[in-house]
Amino acid sequence: MERFRRLLTEPLVLASLAILVLLGVGEFLSPGFARGGQIARILTVSAILGLVSAGQALVVIGGREGIDLSVGALISLGALVAGNVMSGENGAIFSAILAAGGLAFVIGLVNGMGVTLVRIPPLVMTLGMMGVIQGGLVVLSRGIPSGNAAPALMTFINRPLVFGLPGVLFVWALVALAMWFILRRTALGYAIYAMGANERAARLCGVRTGLVRTLLYGLSGLMAGLTGVCVIGYTGNSFISVGDQYVLPSVIAVVIGGVSLAGGTGGYFGVVLGAIALTLLQSVLTTLQLEFWGRQLIFGAVLLGLMLLYGRTKRLRV
Amino acid sequence: MTAALTARSVQKRFGAAVALSNAALTLERGEVHALVGANGCGKSTLSKIIAGTVQRDSGDIVVNGAPLVLSSPAEAEANGISLFYQELSLIPQMSVEDNIFLGREPRNGAGFVDRKALAKKADALLQRFAPVAGRGLNSKARVSDLSPDQRQIVEIVKVLARDPDVVIFDEATAALDHRQVELFFRIIGEMKDKGVSFLFISHRLAEVFAVCDRITVMRNGESVDDFVTAETDMDTVVRAMVGDIAHDLDPAPSTDFTSASARLVVQGARGQRLQDVSFSLRPGEILGLGGLQGQGQSILLQSLFGAEPLTGGRVLIEGRPVVVRTPRAAVRHGFGYVSGDRGRDSALQGRSIFENMAIAEWVAERRRLVWPGRLQARLSEIAQSLNTKYPSLDAPIDALSGGNQQKVFIARWLATNPVVLLLDDPTKGIDLAAKADFFRLVRNLAAAGAAVLFYSSEDAELIGLCHRVLVFNSGRIVAELERAELTSFNLTGAAYGSAA
Ligand SMILES: Nc1ncnc2c1ncn2[C@@H]1O[C@H](COP(=O)(O)OP(=O)(O)OP(=O)(O)O)[C@@H](O)[C@H]1O
Ligand SMILES: [Mg+2]
Repeated sequence: MERFRRLLTEPLVLASLAILVLLGVGEFLSPGFARGGQIARILTVSAILGLVSAGQALVVIGGREGIDLSVGALISLGALVAGNVMSGENGAIFSAILAAGGLAFVIGLVNGMGVTLVRIPPLVMTLGMMGVIQGGLVVLSRGIPSGNAAPALMTFINRPLVFGLPGVLFVWALVALAMWFILRRTALGYAIYAMGANERAARLCGVRTGLVRTLLYGLSGLMAGLTGVCVIGYTGNSFISVGDQYVLPSVIAVVIGGVSLAGGTGGYFGVVLGAIALTLLQSVLTTLQLEFWGRQLIFGAVLLGLMLLYGRTKRLRV
Repeated sequence: MTAALTARSVQKRFGAAVALSNAALTLERGEVHALVGANGCGKSTLSKIIAGTVQRDSGDIVVNGAPLVLSSPAEAEANGISLFYQELSLIPQMSVEDNIFLGREPRNGAGFVDRKALAKKADALLQRFAPVAGRGLNSKARVSDLSPDQRQIVEIVKVLARDPDVVIFDEATAALDHRQVELFFRIIGEMKDKGVSFLFISHRLAEVFAVCDRITVMRNGESVDDFVTAETDMDTVVRAMVGDIAHDLDPAPSTDFTSASARLVVQGARGQRLQDVSFSLRPGEILGLGGLQGQGQSILLQSLFGAEPLTGGRVLIEGRPVVVRTPRAAVRHGFGYVSGDRGRDSALQGRSIFENMAIAEWVAERRRLVWPGRLQARLSEIAQSLNTKYPSLDAPIDALSGGNQQKVFIARWLATNPVVLLLDDPTKGIDLAAKADFFRLVRNLAAAGAAVLFYSSEDAELIGLCHRVLVFNSGRIVAELERAELTSFNLTGAAYGSAA
């Protein structure tokens, strides 16, 4: 019994179970929900969420109350920049990725420096940055949607490439592989965990905690910028608040995946499952014709419920 | 008259690991009772069960003749039981007084916390330790600004503030120097006369024999022997603890270093609590830092390691001046640093034993890529040479007993093959046998050419291990004792010699 309970609170098990249950519920509510084409579409949306959650996961694992609330604004920024650089030209896709990713990376580094050098709490720093970017977007675009995706990018993200799966899924797989490699096969990865577990101890072992943490926020920015490119590829054109809807889900996906908000634990595989589970939940709620606010309510409740569940099992040990 | 507390055939498992198989003890009213045994034998687990922070699987605990079932520390406290936690339980961001009265703040008529009464009570309690408290320990100070010994004093005060009938001290003296310990024992004596009972856990047998009336010995989760202190001796107790021989520390071999040139030279070092510290250290030498607690020994070690700033002076390695501003630079210069404050400085909580051991090695060797499998064999060999008791390298560090954790952190630095090893009260919490193993490893390292700086709050360790000891007072070196002059008497004399 005890073991059964322990198993149930194991994040990976929980996320997998959630996926199965949601598939069943979806199929029950609207037959055809769990079919091939529909699954591919859900995976595509999951991939987009999964990409920003990768950066979010790194920041959270790094500890000291790490969180990046500016990812939503950075996605909007990435989409806008990419859309304007591309302006529908296939030839400009590469420069669009470079411009959107590069800009978001630099902004992420600024987040990181605010957190490490000025010691602004991450919540405040990234929230402030979110406001700055959103304001900047309004000023730059004068509120008028501009820029559109190149056809090749849209095909890559929306149309099946191999095995009926769109190209973006293979990008996601590559990112997952890279995340695994960084976290489990590089000294940097273990330094991130060490720092999340006990920053002072990590520093005393020779880890450059300030530098690593700054880099983590930079990477989170980079991933958000690239996600912005995918978002505009998914929808064709963008509006200035297109990224806002990703902020809360990126945090929830990380938590479902078993990354403690206190830092120092978890891996990306769980986050992948978390992103899929969350996207499924979103689809089910859409099937139920729940409005945006209704979905927001359920998402918030899921996050709090998870904190309750994991928080109980990970009580401070005395 | 009934005993204050009796524990009978207490059992506890953590998953597959058996922490207690048959623990038992009887604590009479107004006695100081020692609980001793090797690292990981179950002392802390038994204490936590008595204090309600860990639930037992089976067995009885009887308090004042009535069986006791506890489900929380608050219930234990209501029954007059108070525990001093080996891994301190203070909240670093809070003030000393708030920590002392955490959860039991005095209230005024309106039900609000009565800050004045709280401050007054805290001051009165701290006053008892005033002669040995050192700089900066007052009721308003933030706990994170305190030194390890000061935090230990606050934790003791926190326990005493609860007016307990039964007090368990789990390695409460590990960071205290002998002057602080003496005062602490005097306070215990006064309370004992008023009928308070104490369970006293320590790896320092001299202290056990100085303060305890009776001794219970545990081995592998089982209570194996009971002694009346006055009717036994240390050898007998040690034999009961380890099952066979006593581990004596053989005196350090006197080596002639005059030929070798200095590995580390410190000239006129100054820092926040250091004044004009100069010395040199040759390869193979084990140099002790002595004196009362908090006279600059730890600060010196941390400054050399780049964790605290030096404001003046020069440091030379192999004759070349170096500036070490970060621990990373120190590690790259071949320094290793073992802290005595493992919770704050060493433990990567929640991470595996393997990661906890390997992390410094990766930095020292400038690794970018790591293949976890590759280091396993070497690390487990080092851990085993310290007799570390652990289920597997993949188990989380938190599952180890306090002493076994400390062995992991020592192994962490031994693995880097340091050329200068800085030891900052490193034996805190490790048992006698492991201490002997550790000293042997340090000697071997020195014999292979490493230079060792060793601070200990225990004079016996300095005498047992060092070739030479620098005695500190108020951030300066006030005396230098050569091997031949290294006696407890001389160390104490020098420490007080020009004490402020
Ligand atoms: N939370 C836990 N999870 C798993 N195993 C544990 C846990 N706590 C303790 N143990 C195991 O129980 C045994 C007894 O540990 P305990 O902390 O009581 O030892 P101890 O006698 O206090 O040792 P020390 O002298 O090192 O402090 C050890 O083998 C330890 O590994
Ligand atoms: Mg213990």
